Amino acid sequence: MKRILEYIWISLVLLSVFAYLLGYMEYISSTLVIVLLSTTLIKGILVIDYFMDLKEVVWKYRLIPLLWLVFVLSLIVVAYYLPVVKT
Amino acid sequence: MPKSIKLKEKYPPGDLAIWIIIYVELITFGLLFLGYAFARRLDVELFNSSQLVINQTSGFINTFILITSSYFVVKAVQNMKSMTQKNHKESNAKASKWLLFAIMCGVAFLFIKVSEFSHIFGLGIHLSTNKFFMFYLFLTVFHFLHVLLGSWILFIIYKKTKTYGYTPDDYKGFETGASYWHMVDLLWIVLFPLVYIIR
Repeated sequence: MKRILEYIWISLVLLSVFAYLLGYMEYISSTLVIVLLSTTLIKGILVIDYFMDLKEVVWKYRLIPLLWLVFVLSLIVVAYYLPVVKT
Repeated sequence: MPKSIKLKEKYPPGDLAIWIIIYVELITFGLLFLGYAFARRLDVELFNSSQLVINQTSGFINTFILITSSYFVVKAVQNMKSMTQKNHKESNAKASKWLLFAIMCGVAFLFIKVSEFSHIFGLGIHLSTNKFFMFYLFLTVFHFLHVLLGSWILFIIYKKTKTYGYTPDDYKGFETGASYWHMVDLLWIVLFPLVYIIR
């Protein structure tokens, strides 16, 4: 448990490497977009809980950035999945 | 024996005012992220072809740099938390070293971003080139300014640690600056896949 910050940092780096490798694909399927945004959600939660240190604070202060993260990422998914508008 | 329960802190680290600023910043960037995502729907091909001009590798390097700098800042905060009256000079000195690494990361991020911008502007691209570049430049320049301010804040904290200015009873200013820096990191964590990766 003593090295938890180091594990968090390694997890964040590995998830970022995963996102970077996905970027090399010519086309990212809808499933992979969900996976990519899920990893982004995990990264965000790790930063909020362990770097911002909101895990040890009463729930309301932690809830605001968590809700923001879930809301923004969910709407990005919605925008991605909605049918393309032809103008 | 009763199981020990760790009580939650009543307030987040640092000054409460910084958290109001952080929440407002999150909402502002959140709206911009959604603006980008929904504008993309109107012209997916334009967004996909324009995205090829920006450098994913520099985006990834900057992600790595910000994550690492946030880690250095947390290590510095840990030194503050474990500080006692007896070892306060030592704790300040240790924290200053971690902060210096974090500031160096911040400066590296800014240098990479400047080179990315000079490449983009060198191609004759500007805000009104198309909708993708309008969002790209607005989001990244806005974020760049936050990194610039964050680095300056870290530098001010660094200078105070060099004079052993933080004590076990007073290191709230340190935590305030640290919280702002983590927000800058959190924003980039969403910005990177949205603007550089998804197509």
